[in-house]
Amino acid sequence: NLAAAGPEKFTLEYIQKQVEEYEIGKRHLANMMGEDSENFTQEDIDLFDFIYLFFLLKQICFYFQHPDEIFPKQRAVQWGADGRPFHFLFYTGKQSYYSLMHDLYGKILKIEKHQDRLRAKGLFSQDAQLISLGPSRWLTKEELELLLVETISTHDYDRFIKLMERMLAMPYSSTEEEFVQRYRRQLEAQSMKQMMPPLEKDENGVAFSTAEGRRKTSDSSVILRDCGSGHITINGQDYLQYFPVLQDREQLMFPLQFMGVLGRFNLECTVSGGGRSSQAGALRLAISRALLSFLSEGDGEAMRQAGLLTPDPRVRERKKPGQEGARRKFTWKKR
Amino acid sequence: MAASISGLLKPWTPSVFLVRWSRYNPYYLEPEVSKEAYSRPETELSAEEKEQRELKALRPIKAATSGVTSSVFDDPVISKFINMMMEHGNKVLAREIMTQTLENIKKKQVEKYHKASEGEREVIECNPYTIFHQALENCKPVVGLASIQKGGKYYQVPIPLTDNRRRFLAMKWMITECQDNKHRRTHMYEKLSQELLAAFGKEGNVIKKKYELHKMAEANRAYAHYRWW
Repeated sequence: NLAAAGPEKFTLEYIQKQVEEYEIGKRHLANMMGEDSENFTQEDIDLFDFIYLFFLLKQICFYFQHPDEIFPKQRAVQWGADGRPFHFLFYTGKQSYYSLMHDLYGKILKIEKHQDRLRAKGLFSQDAQLISLGPSRWLTKEELELLLVETISTHDYDRFIKLMERMLAMPYSSTEEEFVQRYRRQLEAQSMKQMMPPLEKDENGVAFSTAEGRRKTSDSSVILRDCGSGHITINGQDYLQYFPVLQDREQLMFPLQFMGVLGRFNLECTVSGGGRSSQAGALRLAISRALLSFLSEGDGEAMRQAGLLTPDPRVRERKKPGQEGARRKFTWKKR
Repeated sequence: MAASISGLLKPWTPSVFLVRWSRYNPYYLEPEVSKEAYSRPETELSAEEKEQRELKALRPIKAATSGVTSSVFDDPVISKFINMMMEHGNKVLAREIMTQTLENIKKKQVEKYHKASEGEREVIECNPYTIFHQALENCKPVVGLASIQKGGKYYQVPIPLTDNRRRFLAMKWMITECQDNKHRRTHMYEKLSQELLAAFGKEGNVIKKKYELHKMAEANRAYAHYRWW
């Protein structure tokens, strides 16, 4: 992996050569596989099994990705043959950042001029179209650095965001919407990312689903059957016998009680590892996941917002040297 | 882009180690466990609540802890009190003491109810949960004292307290009172129920402690302007 070998600078000619070789290699591959060499895209390359391809292409040095994605983006040389820089803000040191701020302020002035013209005609109204951005977030500092191909400080980034917010707060800013959207990323709803276990049917026609859950060092797996009796079996024993403590049983029932389906399902659970509380937590996660396939989208979202579907990341913190425990220090003696 | 967003969704360790940090990224929101919060239709919500709902739809949520459920019997104040009573992680014992306390309170009140005449019966409160909440309310101090250094000397300056701090002080006093000032043969639940009933009637050692704190704050009223926040 060439690009991971430290901050090496690759010359422009070298990268261009890599791109040409990549294109040639792509056409060779297409000819070898008998595909159409003209319209052979990156996705078609990804579909092939890499190990198989490696033996075929041993003679040809071929990257499986476009070189632009492998080599980090670098700045071309900023000055001409006479030593004079191309960009007028070159001597600020952060030319892309300052030119961006300059453009942004230019746009603010333009909007203000537009507002003045409207006011002169008497057509100005305070509540005219503000930009509707939808569920999106500003670019993070790292993403902005990638875009500008130069490093900026946190202070610079905060100033950029403040100036953007100022522009958005002005009426009639919807003219600059396309410019703003370049610096925002869409946020997708978290509920789309839920993995729902599939709903199966066993030989008696009873619908059931299986799910697994983990908490600390416990692993559990649950089979939820839509029988209507409400029996719970854990590792072959009755749940009353396995969890004598009320708190653990409450945790088992939590997802069922939250959805109001207490007597409807039969649970067949297996759990191993950890202590009593972490086993109960693992079972709770498994039950909530299994329940997802029986419920609607809105109910699934409610369960997620109640914190039932997040695996608990808290684990035991390690003991550190020089201290007695994870946090506890040794007794402090003055002498 | 995808890398940074998925970086916000994983269990993390902060790059600068603070004293109190959690395994969750600060991007995560707290879970809302009660069922009623989800059954309200769109029309009843104010603008802020709608914004909250939209934010919750986009952000990941922390897992619910093992002490909370959506059951009607689950009370956050009682859970906090049980956690404060717990020693060496023995939640089973702490919870046992709490249930015995509430049972004891109920027994005493029902006894009093049956012995009382018709007129007095309406005044007697039998619900142990209301008694617990009211007793705790009565024990909460209004102002606290902070030790502030000025000109080489330390002064006890009266300061306003946040809700959480007031609740914490009331519970702490209650627990320490019941652990220290009891006969070695009385059980914790017995002593706790006595103190809670006394606090409900605005008597008892914990109430006395609260009044002493208020008196100290009143006495040091002259130094109140030393507070700068």
